[in-house]
Amino acid sequence: MVKKILSSKSPVKLLEKSVKGGLGPGNLGVFASRKGVGKTACLVQIALNRLVEGQGVIHVSYASRVDYIIAWYEEMFKNLATSENLQKAMETHDEIIRRRVIMNFQQGGMDTEQVLKGLEALLVHGNFPARTIIVDGFNFYLPAAADVKLFKQFAVEHQLEFWFSCSLHGDDPLFDEQGIPFILKDYLDSFDIIFTLENEKDRVKVNLVKDHDRLSLKKLNLELDPQTLLLARA
Amino acid sequence: MDKALSRMRNIGISAHIDSGKTTLTERILYYCKKIHRMHEVKGKEGGGATMDFMELERERGITISSATTNVSWQDHSINIIDTPGHVDFTIEVERSLRVLDGAILVLCSVGGVQSQTLTVDKQLKRYKVPILAFINKLDRVGANPFKVKDQIVNKLGRRAALLQIPIGLEDNFRGVIDLVSLQAVYFDGPNGEIVRREEIPAELREEANRYREELLDMISLSSDELAEAILEDKVTPELLHRVLRQATIQREFTPVFIGSAYRNKGIQPLLDGVVNYLPHPGEVENIALDLDHNEQPVVLQADPELPCVAYAFKLEEGPYGQLTYVRIYQGKIKKGDELFNTRSRQKFKVGRLVKMHADHMEDITEALAGDIIALFGVDFASGDTICSPGLNYTLTSIYVPEPVISLAIEPVDKISSDRLSRALSRFTKEDPTFRTYLDPESRQIIIQGMGELHLDVYIERMKREYKVEVVTGQPEVAYREAITARADFDYVHKKQTGGAGQFARVTGYLEPFEGSYEFINEVKGGHIPREFIPSCDRGFQASLKKGQLLGSPIIGVRVVLTDGQFHPVDSSDLAFQLAAQGAFKQAYKKAKPQLLEPIMKVVVETPSEYSGHVFASLNQRRGIIISSVETGVYSTIEAEVPLSEMFGYSSVLRSMTQGKAEFTMEFLKYSRVPQNLAEELMEEHRQEIEKEKGK
Repeated sequence: MVKKILSSKSPVKLLEKSVKGGLGPGNLGVFASRKGVGKTACLVQIALNRLVEGQGVIHVSYASRVDYIIAWYEEMFKNLATSENLQKAMETHDEIIRRRVIMNFQQGGMDTEQVLKGLEALLVHGNFPARTIIVDGFNFYLPAAADVKLFKQFAVEHQLEFWFSCSLHGDDPLFDEQGIPFILKDYLDSFDIIFTLENEKDRVKVNLVKDHDRLSLKKLNLELDPQTLLLARA
Repeated sequence: MDKALSRMRNIGISAHIDSGKTTLTERILYYCKKIHRMHEVKGKEGGGATMDFMELERERGITISSATTNVSWQDHSINIIDTPGHVDFTIEVERSLRVLDGAILVLCSVGGVQSQTLTVDKQLKRYKVPILAFINKLDRVGANPFKVKDQIVNKLGRRAALLQIPIGLEDNFRGVIDLVSLQAVYFDGPNGEIVRREEIPAELREEANRYREELLDMISLSSDELAEAILEDKVTPELLHRVLRQATIQREFTPVFIGSAYRNKGIQPLLDGVVNYLPHPGEVENIALDLDHNEQPVVLQADPELPCVAYAFKLEEGPYGQLTYVRIYQGKIKKGDELFNTRSRQKFKVGRLVKMHADHMEDITEALAGDIIALFGVDFASGDTICSPGLNYTLTSIYVPEPVISLAIEPVDKISSDRLSRALSRFTKEDPTFRTYLDPESRQIIIQGMGELHLDVYIERMKREYKVEVVTGQPEVAYREAITARADFDYVHKKQTGGAGQFARVTGYLEPFEGSYEFINEVKGGHIPREFIPSCDRGFQASLKKGQLLGSPIIGVRVVLTDGQFHPVDSSDLAFQLAAQGAFKQAYKKAKPQLLEPIMKVVVETPSEYSGHVFASLNQRRGIIISSVETGVYSTIEAEVPLSEMFGYSSVLRSMTQGKAEFTMEFLKYSRVPQNLAEELMEEHRQEIEKEKGK
């Protein structure tokens, strides 16, 4: 087992520290922004952080092809290994692949119950030890309150943390005065943590708008590196 | 352009195992008037389909060998190379693909694109074969050609559009609408042999127009002329045919045909498609390498007047003796010609020359460039290139993977052993991925291949075709050893026992290397004379054959020779070889060797309700689950699993899923064996050696 773990000053850790030590089992978190700002990059970094710490991750995707998702992981890992100066990067890489499964659900006719059934098959029958589930590409613009509740219930039941991405579209304004995306207002109860990504003078800034019980806009001292899409201190 | 050449097609039929390929081939032969009665696959009528004439294939309902057969359609001569569908026989598929100019990719209208379709499609792309897609089994419950067409676009990444839409589906499937001519096509008569073209039924007109527009949209990207004609509403079937042909041959577009071979519907338009849209041999570029000029590439011309270049792609021992299937790329082959095999460097005279049909053969006196024929009485290995004397070309050698599994066999009685050696010699000639050798230690015959099923098939063929019963041992995985650290050596080989002595000293180091083996000479000042450097190299190479962990071959070693010493009288080639071997032995253990095992890429397709069981079964087998793609009803699970854990998986999978799941497996890479297992294996190996010593 490769023991070298990301340093505690690593930006991903800072992100988690900003929210009382992380999302925690039984909870849902989300990154919201317009398309192409960096949601997937954030999700993959959280996943990689879990993976290098020796935990299992299931990456659920609705649209992308499996090879695209694998390419995301490869690219982000490469960048992370360089920036964190990871020792034995190749060995770590081979290790973490063992702990990651990508589940791709073709959209159209695929309901959340089926998705959860697939997850259950892997977690329970397949005995796959994941604690973190990444859900990329879920469409919040469909009436989905019931689905999100199902995810929440599943997270509590199996003691998992779920990280979602939420792609925002439509005319401005997309956020209310507290910085909460309008579309997510329907799901506020279910989500414990809401981050938003904001384009500001060619930089992508990370804002925390819901932190467990607290609803208030907090601009974090974090941004996405425009080159590597890695989280970095602003 | 030579008329005969432009009327020639060499095509293959590639498919997923149950998509109805054999039935389709049978129907094609029937409509081309070569056989007079149609059979069903699996020998329902006792005859079996004509193409898979091997008994074993008949029993399993699958086609293994790539027999070729010639038919004519609309004044065109079509050679059909029947390609096998199972991944375990990939080498056969690949060899067949080498000689094709075009192919029909058969898909099932219910199952759609499945994992084997992906494998076959990848092969077609690798050999740059232009294709037509045929969506079969439209009479089946759940048939949906539109969905399958979308899968061709999304999963195979091909630009494709339907050239036909169905009139009715499932039980109600009656015919097709041709979107090029805008006619309804029906298939009458007891066997659908009468093609009746009519106006499109009123209720389907709108749908037909919609799909025609989609087709035009898709194909207009390939032709400005067509794009203009569309704007001016002047699209003629002739223009459309021409653009379709050009785009298909350029592999920019895949025309999609539909039908039901079993119900005799849609076959004749597909044959028209072969003639209209797939290339003739002159339209495909083929390249040979000139062995006399440093393997410079030479473009071959399908011109019968030029010197001959041909390729032996398939050997087959039939009831009439050994047949060698040959594709002629350039020139011609005539009875009595003298030709040259560039591998064996032997000249030979062309004796009997035949054209193969599915159930009989026809003697011919000459065959021209582009054609596929068979020769009698020549001693070839598959993959040989044949040239006119004076030329020394080779057609690019086909990539042959290393075998990953081996099995000890022993004939049950002495009488069989002669027949066994004949069988083995033929199989190894036919199939380069099938190998055999005599283990010098155990005195057992070992056969090697690409998977369990691959070897099973040969064992059954020994029984059926050669009447040889063999007892088999446990299948064994082909392990490898590799070093993980640099280690120095300094070794003196000295022997002084009367007569000429032996002396050699080598100094240097071993280190891990990405490739298989590399030897670097850094000796300065003539400390080892130049003539003995190759001796050292040979000595090191000899050491690689057997590692010290499990006696497996060693890969991934770079040997750097930095210094040495010699004696003017006592040093010799042998002395340096032995010194190198001694040095290797000395350094190997220090270089932290580890055991590697073959890892297979396994793809399981299963109804989603069983996916949990499949996950569990792969996990138990030390598998890494890479991904799972769910389409609602079906899940496609991809995993990397050590070959040693995959023995007997097909029966496990079958019983776990009531036979509803299937899997494919191919070699992916060599990877480290976990420490505890490696120790177990080495312990077993030690005990075996002890036992041998005790004997």
